[in-house]
Amino acid sequence: MPLRIWRKPLDADKIKIPQAEIHIIKDRCKGCGFCIEFCPREVLETSEELNVRGVHPPKVKDENKCTLCHFCAAVCPDFAIFSIEKDCGGGC
Amino acid sequence: MQEKPSQPKPNSEEDIRIGVYVCHCGLNIAGSVNAEEVARFAATLPHVVVSKDNRYICSDQGQELIKSDIQEHKLNRVVVASCSPRLHEPTFRRACEEAGLNKYLFEMANIREQCSWVHLYEKEKATEKAKDLVRMAVAKAALLEPEEESEVPIIKKAMVIGGGVAGIQAALDLADTGYQVYLVEKEPSIGGRMAQLDKTFPTMDCSICILAPKMSDAGRHPNIELLTNSEVTEVKGYIGNFRVKVLKKPRHVTEECTACGDCARVCPITTPNEFDVGLATRRAIYTPFAQAVPSTYIIDRNLCLNKENIILCDKCIKACEARAIDFDMKPETVELEVGTIIVATGADVYDPTSLANYGYGKFPNVITSLEFERLINAGGPSGGNLIRPSDMQIPDTVAFIQCVGSRSDKGHLYCSNVCCMNTIKDSLLIKEHWPDTKIHVFYVDIRAYGKGFEDLYKRAKKEGVIFIRGLPSEIHEDRKINNLWLIGENTLQKELYKVNVGMVILSIGIEPRRDNELVQRLLTLSRNPDGFFMEAHPKLRPVDTPTGGVFLAGCAESPKDIKDSVTQASAAAARAGILMAKGRITAEAITPELIAENCTVCGLCARVCPYNAISVDKERKKTEIIEAACAGCGTCGAECPFDALIMRNFTDEQIYAQIDAATEQDADKKIMAFCCNWCSYAGADFAGVSRMQYPTNVRIIRTMCSGRVAPKFVESAFARGTAAVLVSGCHLGDCHYINANYQTKRRVEKLWKKMERLGLNKDRLQLAWFTAAEGEKFASKIKEMQEIVKNVSEEEIEKSKALLAKALPEKD
Repeated sequence: MPLRIWRKPLDADKIKIPQAEIHIIKDRCKGCGFCIEFCPREVLETSEELNVRGVHPPKVKDENKCTLCHFCAAVCPDFAIFSIEKDCGGGC
Repeated sequence: MQEKPSQPKPNSEEDIRIGVYVCHCGLNIAGSVNAEEVARFAATLPHVVVSKDNRYICSDQGQELIKSDIQEHKLNRVVVASCSPRLHEPTFRRACEEAGLNKYLFEMANIREQCSWVHLYEKEKATEKAKDLVRMAVAKAALLEPEEESEVPIIKKAMVIGGGVAGIQAALDLADTGYQVYLVEKEPSIGGRMAQLDKTFPTMDCSICILAPKMSDAGRHPNIELLTNSEVTEVKGYIGNFRVKVLKKPRHVTEECTACGDCARVCPITTPNEFDVGLATRRAIYTPFAQAVPSTYIIDRNLCLNKENIILCDKCIKACEARAIDFDMKPETVELEVGTIIVATGADVYDPTSLANYGYGKFPNVITSLEFERLINAGGPSGGNLIRPSDMQIPDTVAFIQCVGSRSDKGHLYCSNVCCMNTIKDSLLIKEHWPDTKIHVFYVDIRAYGKGFEDLYKRAKKEGVIFIRGLPSEIHEDRKINNLWLIGENTLQKELYKVNVGMVILSIGIEPRRDNELVQRLLTLSRNPDGFFMEAHPKLRPVDTPTGGVFLAGCAESPKDIKDSVTQASAAAARAGILMAKGRITAEAITPELIAENCTVCGLCARVCPYNAISVDKERKKTEIIEAACAGCGTCGAECPFDALIMRNFTDEQIYAQIDAATEQDADKKIMAFCCNWCSYAGADFAGVSRMQYPTNVRIIRTMCSGRVAPKFVESAFARGTAAVLVSGCHLGDCHYINANYQTKRRVEKLWKKMERLGLNKDRLQLAWFTAAEGEKFASKIKEMQEIVKNVSEEEIEKSKALLAKALPEKD
């Protein structure tokens, strides 16, 4: 279907994709970088700060892009990251 | 391929016994040709044992005469001098067969269309010409050989490419007839463009309501195998025996899918839905539309988070109760064997972005007619409300602009056929929902040509739709409220207009699919200059293609509406069904015969074959002719430098014999014309039918295609002292044999160069293209060449005779 698609879909604002809340337990991180590397949406990046273990833990670049796939939690060897669905009761 | 054991061919010359029959055709021939004299002359020709003239040789009595003579005089060749072989060759061939003579031992001399009718007032000269024509026919007849037609079995299975309404109809018709059908569709669902439409003209039926039952019929039919999300990647073989490879791309959802949609609800990835022209959203796992067949969901792996073998996101897997999701599915190549193929690949729609003056893509409230269909559809993204994309409000005034991308050098030159009626239908739909909406239609011409179309047009006018002739030259946007100003000239009232509307709908045209070129290559089809596939004959074989066993349906052939697509699809199915019902096909014995000991496996023949009917295996040193794929144009025979290909019924020897016979007397005053059977010979016939008079000194040699005319024939005509030679064929692009006449062009251009190099007057060789209707053009070409003939000096003739003597065939 070659007709160029350029409009914002009319229902774009109505589609509710669960919003994520990403929690990083910085001091557990040993800086392996798996979460950053494997995140399919490139939500994370290395931070400037140093944690108690002397490494740079990840930080959230763009939380809106997270799709709550939880893969970061699955690959983290130190149980240092997890994501939960934001409670949007009052609107996000 | 099966071939009957061939009969022993007559070997020695003394056996040849020719009967010649000269027809008066009432006064049609006898009015300007002395038929008795021609018959008396024929009796003096070598091998002629019987020569008679007859008032109507095509009558039953005439045919009986030939049959009894065959018996009585032991004739083994028959020559009839009468009308065009395009008219009565089959009649006389049948008569010969009934008398036990192989039908390929019959030859015709065309002394009506190409002699008596075009030289009405020159009885003497016309009689002389008729004698020459008979001499040529007798010379060829002496060299004719009996031929057996080969028979090819036809696989009783069909493939339909494209699952739009045309493809669905063709598949259903064939399947109902009892044939196994493979319906191959590129998209995840069948349905095509029609599924996107809201209502259809002129009856205002709901499009999907009438299409969906057909879609599910096709999906459920025991004789139809649906191959969706699949593409044809290779087609080999020939009529009746195609071997096809189809790439089945993985859906990643198995047939266990119940289409409940739980997966899509949890899928975190969204993208604009192509089916809704981007006006609605879909997920990475989706079904294109509610009525899709098959209803099985599909995962768009370009969007899905799971790449290659890593499952990052398992939301859909967890949500699916039927456990239908399978990320391990791999692309699969299916091999099919089918006897016939129907091409119903459909069309694209024109993208108006390039027309900057209409502002599509810049102004949110300028939409296309396809976007309109999705907006007005109750199941569409706006729930059937025609809303302005800028503010979601229903407009009070709308304007339709016709011919966007059609009938203009800014888009396509042709008319897209459906847009006028589509707009009229759309305007009535708006009036039905919001009767107070003011509607302007800016048009060039309204083409309401079909059944019930004019009534619909009248209804729209009665409902108050305002039709204004003259397209806007530009559209400006009122930035505050996103309304649009249309500026242009009303060409009926000769005054400028400036109209303000809330929404503009561009009535976009239909264009050939971008991948038509690929389909063309796969199936050796031809396309017209607009890019649509060409039919074998625009009037009498409108759904056949030049490739045997391949048929066309729907917009792949030209823009057309649903009714025409369905009609054509049923026609294509019937044509394919005829072939499959017969179960076998005989090939006319005009295909080449390979003389293996002469062949050097150089591959030149295969390179010029328009049908890929010659396979050359350089490693195994083997050239093979796939007879069923061959159409008999003879361009391979003209190309072969080693005389390894004998074109049956149009052999080199036969053509040389015709040239020799034609040049026996007064060669220096004659024009030798090579005409292709389908266009230029037919054009010459048409000149006769229309009684267009031209000089009597032209002698026509018929070949199936101008591609058969080997340069050596032209050279030998000059070497025999002919004053001028005409090589003629169908117009470039119109060749009956796809593109074989391009070889003609190349060869003649080469000959011109050679003549220049040798210091010969290259004007003596002419190349011309005629259609079967261009009798006038043929006649004037001969008149024009007559001037050339007059100016050719004796020295020039002698010079060409000497320089080209090498081209003469070696005589024993």
